[in-house]
Amino acid sequence: MSVQLIDRALDRLESLWEDGLSEMYRSYLEAVTSHEPASQAKLALAAALVEIGVRLQGLGGRAAAPPTLLMGDLCLARSSRLLADAASQSVQVAFAQAIEAMSAAAASGAGTPATRELLLRALKAS
Amino acid sequence: MIGKRLRFETEHATEFVDITDRLRTEVRQAGMGMGRLHLQSLHTTLGLAVNENEPLLLRDFEGLLNRLAPANAGYEHDDFARRFDIAVDEPINGHAHCRQLLLTGFATLLVEDGELVLGRWQSVFAVELDGPRHRELAIQLDGDFSRATGARGLERDLVELELSRQLLVDPEPVSIPMRRLVEAGGKRLRPKLVQLAAGIGPRSEPLRAAALAAAVELLHNATLIHDDYVDESTHRRGRPTVAAAEGPERAIAVGDYYFAKATRLIAEIGNRDVTSTIAEALEAICASQIDDVALRGTYPGDHDSYLQVVRGKTAALFAAACASGALLSEASPEIVEALRRYGDLVGVAFQMADDLVDFSPSSGKPVGLDIRQRVLSLPLIYAAEDRTVGPEVRRLLAGALGDAEVGRVAELVTSSDALQRVRGEAQALVDAAVHELETVELDGLRPTLISLAHSAVDRIS
Repeated sequence: MSVQLIDRALDRLESLWEDGLSEMYRSYLEAVTSHEPASQAKLALAAALVEIGVRLQGLGGRAAAPPTLLMGDLCLARSSRLLADAASQSVQVAFAQAIEAMSAAAASGAGTPATRELLLRALKAS
Repeated sequence: MIGKRLRFETEHATEFVDITDRLRTEVRQAGMGMGRLHLQSLHTTLGLAVNENEPLLLRDFEGLLNRLAPANAGYEHDDFARRFDIAVDEPINGHAHCRQLLLTGFATLLVEDGELVLGRWQSVFAVELDGPRHRELAIQLDGDFSRATGARGLERDLVELELSRQLLVDPEPVSIPMRRLVEAGGKRLRPKLVQLAAGIGPRSEPLRAAALAAAVELLHNATLIHDDYVDESTHRRGRPTVAAAEGPERAIAVGDYYFAKATRLIAEIGNRDVTSTIAEALEAICASQIDDVALRGTYPGDHDSYLQVVRGKTAALFAAACASGALLSEASPEIVEALRRYGDLVGVAFQMADDLVDFSPSSGKPVGLDIRQRVLSLPLIYAAEDRTVGPEVRRLLAGALGDAEVGRVAELVTSSDALQRVRGEAQALVDAAVHELETVELDGLRPTLISLAHSAVDRIS
């Protein structure tokens, strides 16, 4: 993804890039090589945004303070938009199901399942 | 009054197309009880007739038309050498125009008890005189639409059924709090907009529209659950908020679950433009929530900041509801954009009306709740700018807000012209929204959309 594209995708979330998002993004890049080259970066960033988003919100743990929750919400929304741009229907559905699984577990007090595993599985959906 | 177009293809040079059943369907779908159906041919070689649909009789009519205006009788209209500005594909059809003169180009049919008033042997025909062609008839339904609530009610029921169905299959820790919120009511404006817009284009599928409408409503409620935690609201729709009843951790999880579920349901509909439209709206909502909280440092803020936040926080989903419904029905890009602008304007007007409710003792909500929670509110912005009451309003808002201070601020706002200004601005936005509808053909849905726009601000009249 070009620098400009990343800048646009990180609008209002720039501070997160140095705060772990860039590493997450890079780690997901390895998992998207089977996708169309043009959509790989967006998919990797979408996965990274979900992972950092639920972490910011405190999903499955202690609730984040309101401003941090809103940042987390924006991460999930941005991820959703990136997926709408770049992902197949099955990947979009799998991402949503991953978040459903995490939040249902959190709501029941069962603790969140491993976020990364769920997202890696979602990226493989076909 | 409802206006529509009836479109059909003819297959023969002369053809009696029985449109009675289609007209009956239009009357039923419009929910008209008592009134009139006006019908007008939009062509000079397409007539109308009310007569018996008996095949031999129709051949008699065709024979009569042939005798009265034979095809090769040497019509001056067909002498192209003497005519100007004729199209390259101009047909030789003087006979068809003359035959149309023998029929009629318009008709009015009476409607009683929701049915066309027709005699036992009467059928309504569009009479093709120069086919085969694509044809259009304009129809207008004028009368009492009290049965419309039945038709619209059926659509609303579909959304309610879909919401119930979706909540039924979810795990209880998330479904119980969401069901409590959904069942507590709400105006369901966004699903209504989806459903109305989904009826505009050529691909009208009520079940898909209901699925999208329900997903949009779930998404809206998911954002409310997080909002209530952020705003520290204790009640919504007369019931404890999820955050207040079950704690912020559960509220975050329930909000996330239904955010994800709604986006999944929308993705499963399988229309990429619809998915993108909703995703963009969701992003706008989240971004404006951040702005909203940031603006509380300069409370009550100014008009421009207010509009920026409200367009994201409230209007984005109204606009997306309209646009996504229209996209689902494969409406033209002009219609999609006109409806998107309509939704945006109605959404802002709706929020302004909602702001005014905070100052209305008859609303059923405690007066001054927005002031207490330091929620962005246009009446407060105007009152703070007011020369007379402004200094005191600003001083009070800068300090701690107990019952006395909240009461005094509400009193100052009410005594100024702030409420009147907001009311006028909201009404102007509704007028602008209605104007957007005038630029496109909406297949008879314009009156309902106009009525819905007005209902968004009715609470302030």
